[in-house]
Amino acid sequence: MRRKASLVLLGIAAFCTALSPLLRWYAFPRLARIPANEYQAVVLQAKNPTLLDYTRMKDVTVPEVSIVQTLRGNVAAAKQVRKETGRDVVVWDALSYIADPHGAMVSEIPERYVFDAHSQAPVHAGGESVDGDPVRRQGIEFKWPFLTQKRDYYYFDAQTRTSAPIHYRDTEQFHGLKVYYFEQTVPWTKVPLPKKMPLGVTPAVVTAAGMERWYTTKRMFWVDPVTGAPVNGEEIHQEEMRYIGHPEKKPLVAFAGDVKMRPDYVGSTVELVKEKRQLVLALTSYLPWGLLGLGGALLTAALLLEVRGRPGAARTAKPAPEPVPA
Amino acid sequence: MRALIAAVIGLAAALALILTVTAIGAPTGSTSPKPLLTTVPRHP
Repeated sequence: MRRKASLVLLGIAAFCTALSPLLRWYAFPRLARIPANEYQAVVLQAKNPTLLDYTRMKDVTVPEVSIVQTLRGNVAAAKQVRKETGRDVVVWDALSYIADPHGAMVSEIPERYVFDAHSQAPVHAGGESVDGDPVRRQGIEFKWPFLTQKRDYYYFDAQTRTSAPIHYRDTEQFHGLKVYYFEQTVPWTKVPLPKKMPLGVTPAVVTAAGMERWYTTKRMFWVDPVTGAPVNGEEIHQEEMRYIGHPEKKPLVAFAGDVKMRPDYVGSTVELVKEKRQLVLALTSYLPWGLLGLGGALLTAALLLEVRGRPGAARTAKPAPEPVPA
Repeated sequence: MRALIAAVIGLAAALALILTVTAIGAPTGSTSPKPLLTTVPRHP
């Protein structure tokens, strides 16, 4: 009976011990994926920014500007790209909508971002674009990969339509989470005008007025390294309308402000990330280490039972005391 | 010999479980009916 029990324990120990590395290095990279039907909205705000008043062609300071950033996973497009490429992809349709203090549109830029659901490597299919212009992304955008490392990543800038390194700077505590702080500075660069601007102004109108748009930003992200999700973001963002061929003329400030995530969105994002990171930790840490420990304990128990169950062990065992008559 | 068989059964069961779970994968769901926002929401 003991031998049978020790064999069963040994089988379960082998099961647990084998499951531990299989979960971490085989199942996790295949199971951890960004859902194809993700939907997220984030609001960022700039207090007392400078904006261009297109009616007077003059820069003015306003109390507040809001940037509403929505991401929506397009499941049908993801299935189509999967058919074409054979890769498990996510297609995000995104919109950055900038609103003045009255809620009126300052500009809006739609994007399509196509990437590998597991590794987050960009996939060049499915009509990836920014503001209707085809682009070819390199690196990441919006989110870091699962198990983010303390290193620089290539980050795509939607304004310049190019990618540049975003640097890991520090590890910090943020709302009870250990986060990695990343920073990127985009130097003054000539960028395309948004296709949608206030008062029906079009890029052609601005160009006809002899102006072009230049932009610089310092981009900061605080990223949860487990899920790769940013829990806070900030941009010190500047845009100018410069006179073409007249560097002596003072440019107009199209936008200048410190854009930060609205505190209520910081709170809700942190809560969401705290919940999601438990799933990733279960597959990368809790279950593999737990199963390894359990496998070791069961193996020890199986060996003990085996040793006790051997005929030699019975002979060397101390005989039970004889009952003493009362 | 019987110990070896027990260990192999355990290993095979672990492998079968992992292969099944990863083959099933996660459901993709459908595109959210919520719009891309053009107004500033009051709450998350």
